[in-house]
Amino acid sequence: MISPDVLALVTTLKMAALTTIILLLIGTPLAWFLAKMQSRFKVIIEAIVALPLVLPPTVLGFYLLIAFSPQYLPGQLWQQATGQQLAFSFSAIVIGSVLYSMPFVIQPLQKAFEQLGDPLLEAGSMLGAGTLDRFFNIVLPSTKASFITAASLGFAHTVGEFGVILMIGGNIPGETRVLSIALFDHVEAFDYAQAHLLAISLLAGSMVLLSAIYLLNRAAPKTPKTAKKAKRVNNEP
Amino acid sequence: MNLNLSFQLDFPPFNLTIEQALSLQGITGIFGHSGSGKSTLLRAIAGLEKNLVGTIFLDDSCLINNSDRKPKTFIKPEQRHIGLVFQDSRLFPHLNVLGNLKFAAKRCQNRRLDFNEIIKLTELSSLLHKQVDELSGGQKQRVALARAILAEPKLLLLDEPLSALDRQAKASLLKLMLNIQKQLQLPILYVSHSMDELQQVCDKLLVLSQGKVIGYGGIHQMIHQLNYTQNHTQNYAQSHASHNAQVENDLHQQTSLSLPIKTLDNGHGLAVLSLSSALDEQQEIYLPALAKNTEPLHEQTLRCFILASDISISLIEPFNSSIVNHLFAKITALNSQGNKVLVTALYGGKKKNGGEKKGQEQIFFVNISTFSQQQLALKIGQSVYLQFKAGAVRTYLY
Amino acid sequence: MKFFLPLSLVLLLLALGGSGSVVSASEQPLRIAVASNFTPVLKKLLVEFHQQTKINTQVISGATGTLFLQIKHGAPFDIFIAADSARPAQLEQQNLVLANSRHTYALGQLALLSMTSSARLSDLHKVPQRFAIANPDTAPYGKAAKQALKYLNIWSQYQPKLIQGINVNQTFAQIRSQAVNSGLVANSQLVLNNLTGVIIPPAYHQAIAQQLVIIKSSDNINNAQRLSDYLRSAAVQQKIVDWGYASFGNNEQEQSHDQP
Repeated sequence: MISPDVLALVTTLKMAALTTIILLLIGTPLAWFLAKMQSRFKVIIEAIVALPLVLPPTVLGFYLLIAFSPQYLPGQLWQQATGQQLAFSFSAIVIGSVLYSMPFVIQPLQKAFEQLGDPLLEAGSMLGAGTLDRFFNIVLPSTKASFITAASLGFAHTVGEFGVILMIGGNIPGETRVLSIALFDHVEAFDYAQAHLLAISLLAGSMVLLSAIYLLNRAAPKTPKTAKKAKRVNNEP
Repeated sequence: MNLNLSFQLDFPPFNLTIEQALSLQGITGIFGHSGSGKSTLLRAIAGLEKNLVGTIFLDDSCLINNSDRKPKTFIKPEQRHIGLVFQDSRLFPHLNVLGNLKFAAKRCQNRRLDFNEIIKLTELSSLLHKQVDELSGGQKQRVALARAILAEPKLLLLDEPLSALDRQAKASLLKLMLNIQKQLQLPILYVSHSMDELQQVCDKLLVLSQGKVIGYGGIHQMIHQLNYTQNHTQNYAQSHASHNAQVENDLHQQTSLSLPIKTLDNGHGLAVLSLSSALDEQQEIYLPALAKNTEPLHEQTLRCFILASDISISLIEPFNSSIVNHLFAKITALNSQGNKVLVTALYGGKKKNGGEKKGQEQIFFVNISTFSQQQLALKIGQSVYLQFKAGAVRTYLY
Repeated sequence: MKFFLPLSLVLLLLALGGSGSVVSASEQPLRIAVASNFTPVLKKLLVEFHQQTKINTQVISGATGTLFLQIKHGAPFDIFIAADSARPAQLEQQNLVLANSRHTYALGQLALLSMTSSARLSDLHKVPQRFAIANPDTAPYGKAAKQALKYLNIWSQYQPKLIQGINVNQTFAQIRSQAVNSGLVANSQLVLNNLTGVIIPPAYHQAIAQQLVIIKSSDNINNAQRLSDYLRSAAVQQKIVDWGYASFGNNEQEQSHDQP
């Protein structure tokens, strides 16, 4: 039998990783769209993306709870499509986290895309690179650092999320009980020793993860690549 | 290769309206001051400006058709097989020099050029493993040029590729461009605001002003035409002395020439060019000796220019003068410009008493003060001697 | 590109890694939604309950208000052990609970806690700088605290001094950390933490009846019923009293129905 806290840790990592993947998949095109958009509506979309920063998590969680419940349309549609109730499921906390952590992923990407601008893309198209080619071979490598920032912010913020999950998760072990909520439970139950232990492991784990990512980002740049490639070059056609 | 331009592009307050057919052989220069629309024209041809109204045809293929005529067409820039070298290089910072070159070569569908040949031609062998940010401005542009060539375009566009470089880097890149053009037979459109650069390398010149074409023709002819129309800086030395001042005021009244080389060095520190006249006379033009290793010069001829302010007029042949060049010519026009007069004189035209016209006529431009004109009582049709020192025959490259 | 492959791989592994361990047990455990102030007591009682019945349980602890909202929106709980009687009554009105399943299982006792001195009831008449109570509008112990202060005719003096916790657990934490010197909390909290305070006489406020209901949509109603019976058995009731709740003897029915 796994300890409940380990189970909560596993659930948390799973949720945060899935949330980060989804956010990168939908956040990248959205950030690109926002960076290139010239219309007046841009401000409105940006404001919507930033809303989770303004709304108290429990308030956002409350509205999500209503939306996900079987009594309202989104929850009903989900139930029809999957045969399962959305509220209080793992899917629900992932969707909630995606919404809640969205600005942390979109904003760094949008800034990076805006900063990158058109010059390198124009250079790419003049060399015969099509849209996707330009994205994967010019945009991605040039904005790598921002992708790392976006992913780590999104991941870390999701790990630390509490209010939204408290509302829509239902604190179900192995399904929706995540670390932050387990921690809160320990505090509520006056089980401070367990709470301290969990808090310290959460902090330590996040420290290690974030420093590893930043270290990786800093170690990645130019000089080592040069040495590696130097050997291959002589056999160029 | 023919390029047919017929479009309008609005960039309030600028407007670019071009109706022009260009026959692209060798290097065609596009000259204009900033804001004349020359870079925008290049971007339109490249496909980077989509909002134009009208058509652009390259030979028979329609690059864009946004006019009322159907069907509407827009060929994406990446499908036009047109290369563009930007003023600011735009090398990919995440790739080294070799990576940048391979980016282009990989995407070229029918590779005909030899990768290593191009690297040799552009003198990049020693730079291949450098990071982009380790390169000097001139090196960056050489990489950009090589990269554009490796994509093997049908037409190469150069957008002020030298404007950020120092004089020496400019000269070496201009030579490289001439060399590449000759070896690859690649038509080039070359945008610049520097007439000195254009004069050295272009075969034809398109002149833009405020979004309109104001002239198109052979390089010498167009430069001579501009002597009458543009605002000119009077003091060449001054405008070239300071690096910053040269940008806008690079235009000087001048005589632009391509002359066959007789000797690079006649043993007295002078090179000799020959100027043939209608009378089958060979007039020699002296200038400071050219370095021996300047071969091969452009078709064994030298591009050079003589500023109008460097030529003076004498009514008698100046035998007893230190000034080595003197030509007998006939005044064909006098244009008063403030207290200066621009004298147009024709060398090698028909003699007064007739005779057959065989060789070529050469027009010369002389700038003198109104005071001198009145002193000498110069009139149209009058024959005079034009005189200029060897050092007045200038060439930007050699 | 070279960087993105490992990054996405790591994320994917994390995302998939957990999925194996979330297999449900062969039999779905009884899901108990319990008000957080009763959770520690319940957990202790569940050990014996499991020994007697072999029923597996899952404790979902939360604020009564939050749990109420979640049940309203379809949370998959089997039994709801609330900290008040109002929310169970509302669920009953909305026909979300099993008929006749609403019972009082404990009577809360309000207590004065002071961390600076051993408290006496008469201390209440000296209005302190700061005084902590739970939110009188949403928390049952807060409501009782307000009633007690009103009963003593000191509510208006206390009102500007009040620090309000969102629930009585927060109020307790505020006092225990000595951020606030004194306040009114649940007596059960004092017992659990080996603290001593003064029990406010029950006459000062309406009874804090804590009720439980069995959720109608539960597919584990039998086990829920067994837990309900167990909690209300005489032996267990005595234990609950030992944990700092008031005893309410035989008048359970009366208690449970005179609440609004």
